[in-house]
This record gives sequence, C-alpha cells and structure tokens, in this order.
Amino acid sequence: MDIFNKLGEIIVNLYNSSGLASLDWQNYVMIGIAFVLMFLAIKKQYEPLLLLPIAFGMMLVNIFPGIMGNPSTQLMTLEQLQAANLDPASYTTSTLDGVTYYNVTENGGLFYYLYQGVHLGIFPPLIFLGIGAMTDFGPLIANPKSFILGAAAQIGIFITFIGATFLNFAPKEAGSIAIIGGADGPTAIFVTSQLSPELLGPIAVAAYSYMALVPIIQPPIMKLLTTKKERSIVMEQLRPVSKIEKIIFPIVVVVLVAILLPDAAPLVGMLMLGNLFKESGVVDRIAKTAQNELMNIVTIFLGTTVGATASGTLFLTPKTLGIIALGLIAFCFGTACGVLFGKIMCWATHGKVNPLIGSAGVSAVPMAARISQKVGQEENPANFLLMHAMGPNVAGVIGSAVAAGVLISVLK
Amino acid sequence: MENLNLALTLLLAGFVIVFLVLVLLILIITVYGKIIQFAQKAVSKKNQKVEKPAIRSVTREEIEEYDSDEIPEEIIAVIAAAVDAMYGTKPHRIKNVKRSRSIRSSWGNAGIAENTRPF
Repeated sequence: MDIFNKLGEIIVNLYNSSGLASLDWQNYVMIGIAFVLMFLAIKKQYEPLLLLPIAFGMMLVNIFPGIMGNPSTQLMTLEQLQAANLDPASYTTSTLDGVTYYNVTENGGLFYYLYQGVHLGIFPPLIFLGIGAMTDFGPLIANPKSFILGAAAQIGIFITFIGATFLNFAPKEAGSIAIIGGADGPTAIFVTSQLSPELLGPIAVAAYSYMALVPIIQPPIMKLLTTKKERSIVMEQLRPVSKIEKIIFPIVVVVLVAILLPDAAPLVGMLMLGNLFKESGVVDRIAKTAQNELMNIVTIFLGTTVGATASGTLFLTPKTLGIIALGLIAFCFGTACGVLFGKIMCWATHGKVNPLIGSAGVSAVPMAARISQKVGQEENPANFLLMHAMGPNVAGVIGSAVAAGVLISVLK
Repeated sequence: MENLNLALTLLLAGFVIVFLVLVLLILIITVYGKIIQFAQKAVSKKNQKVEKPAIRSVTREEIEEYDSDEIPEEIIAVIAAAVDAMYGTKPHRIKNVKRSRSIRSSWGNAGIAENTRPF
C-alpha cells in the first residue's frame, strides 16, 4: 500500500513540476503561434533563417519560462542553509538587522545570457558587419538616384511616430515602435535598446516577423498603388561599376554619416567595415568569416533569444498588441511611400523607372528586392528588376540607419 | 499637445535630415563616379595608343564557324542528360535544340535563377 502512495506522490510531483500545471492559456496561445511561424518557415520558406530560430525560441520559452530567467540571489540563514544541505563556506554573507544571511546565488537561464547581446546592443552592429560583407553596393553606385527611394521608404517611420503619440505612447516608446517601419530588425533592436529597453521583446518580434512576412505584406500594396503599365516597365541595364568606386564607397558613406549623425555610426560603421572587407579583396578570410560563421552564430543567438522574449503572459497584453499593429502600419506606410516616390521618379524620367523598385527601399535585404522582381515578372516574365531593386534596397539599409540616428539623437 | 508638437517636429526634422544625408551621398557618389570613369577612360586611351593590337585578316570559314548554329553532338548529349535529370520521371522527348541568343551569360542566368527562386 505504501508503494502505491509513494507512486501517487511521485506522479503528483511530476505533474506539478511540469508545464501542464504551471502554464497559462497565454503560453498555449503563443505555442500555437510558434507552430504557425515554424510552418511558414519550413513549408513556405518565408525567411527561414530568421523565422525558424524565432519560432523555436518562442515555443521553448512558453514551455519552459525559466530558460529566460534572470539570475537571482536568495538570502538564507545558517539554519536554512544547513537544512538545504548547502556548504556555508561557499557563500558570501550580508548582515541585516543584526542577523547574518548567506547570499545564495542562482544562475539565470541559458537564453538570459545569450540575450545580453541583444539587450546591450551588441548583436545588431555585428549583424550589420555580416550584411556589409555580403552586400554588393554596385547597383546603388551605378544609379545613385536609388538613394531617394531608400529615403522615401523611411517616411513611414516618422508618420507612425505621430500615430503612436496619438495613442498615448511616450515619445521614446513611440520612436522605438516607429522604427519597425524601416523593416530592419537589427536597427529596430539597436534603437529600442537605446530608447526603451523594456519594449525590446515585442518590438524585436514584430520587426523580425514583418521582415519575414514581406512576401505577404508588400505585394498587395504594390499592386494597389501601381498600374499594370507601370509594373511592366523594363528598365535600362545598369553601367558596370569599377572596383575602385566600390572601395571608395564605404569610406565616403561612413565618413559623411558618422560626421553628420554620430548616433548612426555604430550601425553604418560596421555595415561599411564589412563592405570594405569584401571590396578591398585583401582580407578574404575576415570577409568570409563575417559573411558566414560570425553572421550565422549571431543570427542563431539573436533569433532564438528574440523569440524567447515572447513569453505569453508578458506578450499577450493590449500594449504589445498595439505595438504589433502600429509596427504593421509603419511597415505598410514605408512600402507605400517607397512605391509612391517610385511613381514620381517614373513620371520625372518619362517612364524609365519602374515604380515597383520603390518598395525595396524598406531595407529587408534582399527579400524586398526579390518581391519587386517577383511582382514585376508577374506582369512581364522577361522583366528583370532585381538588380535595379537592389539599389533602393541597400539604400534603405543606410536610410534606416540614418533615421535611427535621428530618432536616437532627438529622443534620447 | 506637447508630444504632438514633438511628433510633428520629428517628422519634419527626420524627413529633412534623412533626405539631406542621402542627397549628399548621391552628389558625392555621382561626382567621384564621374571622376573615376573619366580617369579610367584617359588611362585606357593612353594604353590603346601605346600598344595597338595586331590586326589579322579573318577567313570566311572562320566567320562561318563562329556564327554557325550547329551544336556539337557532345553538347546535345549533355543537354539531353540535363533535361532527363530534370524531367526523368515524366515521359519526354527533345525535338529541337537551339542556341540561345540571350544577352546574359549562363552565369548571369544562373544568378538570376538563384535569386528569384520561389520563396
């Protein structure tokens, strides 16, 4: 009989220590959302490099919240310490009201430590280093007017700032929400870590989710704002760009941006350093490391820990849902402003610019450029807009970093 | 009201600064692009003057061989093998093989295919 009692006790203890007893309904909702995101990443291949680690981190933290747990210190008396079979010699002591307590420290969860790279703003510039080492700025140098489209797509950021202010978000919070419109995950994380670190989780999840969902969000807006004739425009081939132009480009950009907007220097500086590694051709080993190993390692840490910030009880609140909605509005505005400026350029050049390349101004390299290509080819299968769209796309990366510098310098 | 003023100020300031920085970049890139292109043209003209390429007459046979649409049998065998690898499970028959007149190189086409594959 005693054996059955013990067995029952063990089963009850197991149940109590399992997620089944401790999880709220919000956790189950988030686990469901994580499954949907995993489906989109694996089956539909929507930015799987980002979406898969984010979704997995989201699932893991909602099953086992302790994985993001902060390190803690518990004050224990000598009696409590001995009752717990702990050695008093291993702990420092503190005295409160004449009573000596032992400081029993407990380590945080694995993701807590990995998350420090996000929290301290270390990962975003490292990601930018990798992006720089992978990016060919040739199309932008060949057609510098693309910068206009990269700038136009940032207008969504500032319009959303007004919307967030109307919804009673504090200015710093509004700035962090608005930057989602740049469709640049690292930039959004960098700005939020500087302005309102408490919103890092929802903003990072929103920014990366929208980047991954570019193929769903952008095409309807692009089609709505353009005519069939505009979408069919075939653009002239770009001129070849010499190596020396490509080497000078990162140096010129970083000098100009860092002088005018020092707050954008960490992002633009690392982006251009990575690009100089690539274009100089003298540090191939470093360039390859930045493009591959470093980028992949940082992406794993960033993706999983960003996903792990989406714990159900903290995430499913009206404020977070407001941030997600405003982020989507910012992103749509950015796309729309890019396409509308593309239309203006089309009109100004007498039909030489296809307005579809304007939507690529919202960073999200190279997905946004691929969407311009895909939507253009739906109208005219012989139309290759990809290289033309890469110009505004990489200009968007620089533009969103400049916009980030403006937000930080005004709001911090 | 104070926040709204800040929002409108930021809208204007952000708009102006982002455009200003990027327009400055356009100007700088255009100028140094022109300078480099000009310098490179000057250098290539100078080189052309120094070493004129030897001119050689080309026979009619050579031109016909270069222009010919005829594809060697080995190449057709390779193309047939590639088609079979792609459509091996479906019944298929190669009726005709034509040389592509595409202005892009095969590497260029491969690059485009890689960058535009289904999402």
